Amino acid sequence: MSQARVLLDVEGLSKHFGGVQAVLDLSFQVREGEILGVIGPNGSGKTTTFHLITGFHQPDRGRVQFDGRDITGRSPHEVCALGMCRTFQVAKPFPEITVHRNVLMGALLRCPDPTRAAVRADEVLARVGLEGRAAMAAGSLTTIDQRRLEVARALATEPKLLLLDETMAGLNPTEVDEAMRLIVRLRDQGLTVVVVEHVMRAVMSLSDRIVVLNQGAKITEGSPQEVVADPRVIQAYLGKEYDRA
Amino acid sequence: MSRKPRAESREPRAARGGASVKGALTPERYVPAGILVFLLVLPYLMPNPFYVHIIVMMAIFVVLGGAWNILSGYAGQLSLGHAAFFGTGAYVSILLVNAYGVSPWITLWLGGLVALVLSLPVGLICFRLQGPYFTIATIGLAEALRLLVLHFREITNGAQGLTVPYKGNAPWLLQFDSKMPYYYIALAMAIGVLLITRRMERSRLGHYLVAIGQNQDAAEALGIDSAKAKRQALMLSAFLSGMGGVFYAQYTYVIHPDGAFGLGLSIQIAMAAIVGGVGTILGPAIGAVIMGLFTQSTQIIFAGQYPGLELLVYGGLLVAVILWRPRGVFPLFERLYQGLVARLPGAGGGRA
Repeated sequence: MSQARVLLDVEGLSKHFGGVQAVLDLSFQVREGEILGVIGPNGSGKTTTFHLITGFHQPDRGRVQFDGRDITGRSPHEVCALGMCRTFQVAKPFPEITVHRNVLMGALLRCPDPTRAAVRADEVLARVGLEGRAAMAAGSLTTIDQRRLEVARALATEPKLLLLDETMAGLNPTEVDEAMRLIVRLRDQGLTVVVVEHVMRAVMSLSDRIVVLNQGAKITEGSPQEVVADPRVIQAYLGKEYDRA
Repeated sequence: MSRKPRAESREPRAARGGASVKGALTPERYVPAGILVFLLVLPYLMPNPFYVHIIVMMAIFVVLGGAWNILSGYAGQLSLGHAAFFGTGAYVSILLVNAYGVSPWITLWLGGLVALVLSLPVGLICFRLQGPYFTIATIGLAEALRLLVLHFREITNGAQGLTVPYKGNAPWLLQFDSKMPYYYIALAMAIGVLLITRRMERSRLGHYLVAIGQNQDAAEALGIDSAKAKRQALMLSAFLSGMGGVFYAQYTYVIHPDGAFGLGLSIQIAMAAIVGGVGTILGPAIGAVIMGLFTQSTQIIFAGQYPGLELLVYGGLLVAVILWRPRGVFPLFERLYQGLVARLPGAGGGRA
């Protein structure tokens, strides 16, 4: 795994909002074919990092390289077209149109012909288990199905790298298992995945490596076992739960 | 402008009745054909030319409301300055016709083209930002053009406006001694705009505009270049609005700054689409007809006694639509139509 090509290379990324340093000199790499977990307490800069990587925010400093190209400051649609697609922590469905057409919007990126894109959308819906909801208006989906839809739309753009922002928050244990199986399956199909996640059980068993953020900076990085054993992590974040375990 | 999610979804109607037997006389076929025949004979059913004039004006508003709908309806980018494109077309046409004797059949395209060019900087500047900037810019553009036209009096004749000299029956100059030819030209333009809208709705651009109107961030995250899609829609919308302006100017023989660039006209254009139903092919057409009937009846009832009163009634109507029919009256018409089609003889794909 460690010999795999670097797909995403983040170097010295910084961003502040007013007086708040949201992300500070953050560097990490994502290698092709791995699942990278990003964890950290609330407000540690995980979502901001996603925004910076995918072009929704411009970094103050630093560089983002994806698939051998410098994409710093590129707009979100360009980043997506290059093969990096993200989901949103708070789902952003297109509420008034059907679930199927929501996914079609993603599929149109690689299949400009709507008829062919519609077929692709059907396939993607089946992959995430939403085929039964295809004709519903996306705004009337349950929160969990809206998360599935976020993933489905992102998959429809045929990314090389998928960034999942707290896809499992609020899911019950069965649904978490289901989501984990889906992510593993996607990886086995050749996708590289970065997950920002609060559900510890999921991150720990899914991730090949984990990056831990605290107050916008990386405090450590390593395998789940290394991270769990790291005293800085226990202090910053995992202390309460894992001390007792 | 946030919209509540609803259980039913806003979808373009899929090709219904596609399974019907080839050549069978189903209501899906003969009802639209009947409507078309009705529209073709409609001016002959009118008791006098004034009524033909009313339906020509309705057809012009189908063109303008339909053009507005392409950007503002599908992508939710509210324009309150479409008079800018209309007025540009109107002035370009009359100036070219009067100064150089260019045929209005040619200025129809040139006026659209100049309106399109005018829309380019607006699109380039405004669509980088989200929020009300586009709406404000469109109002500002129309107002700036109105003031420019007032200022350059030597060319535009200022507040008095420009007129087309009457040459009698001169088809090459788009002049006819009857209202009938105007009606058929306006009808062709209106149907053309609806067909263009249908084509656009089914294209990738049409889907993208809907996505942008629903949630621009999500659209961007899926690789949709939202600024580019909006620019393309604005170009098409401005072009068609400009053509509408050319036809209006040549039809009425007179154009003046307040009428061509005024906020009132911009609001009327938007109203036609909003009352009818934004983001649908036929909504603006239905809205234009309703607004036309409405304008005429208020003018007849109040008979010019209370100038400006119809604007008050407009406002009331707009509030009513937003409160009770936020998608316009189109869904209502669609249900009625489907009910009709299902009951007429030959329904059910010609199985009988």
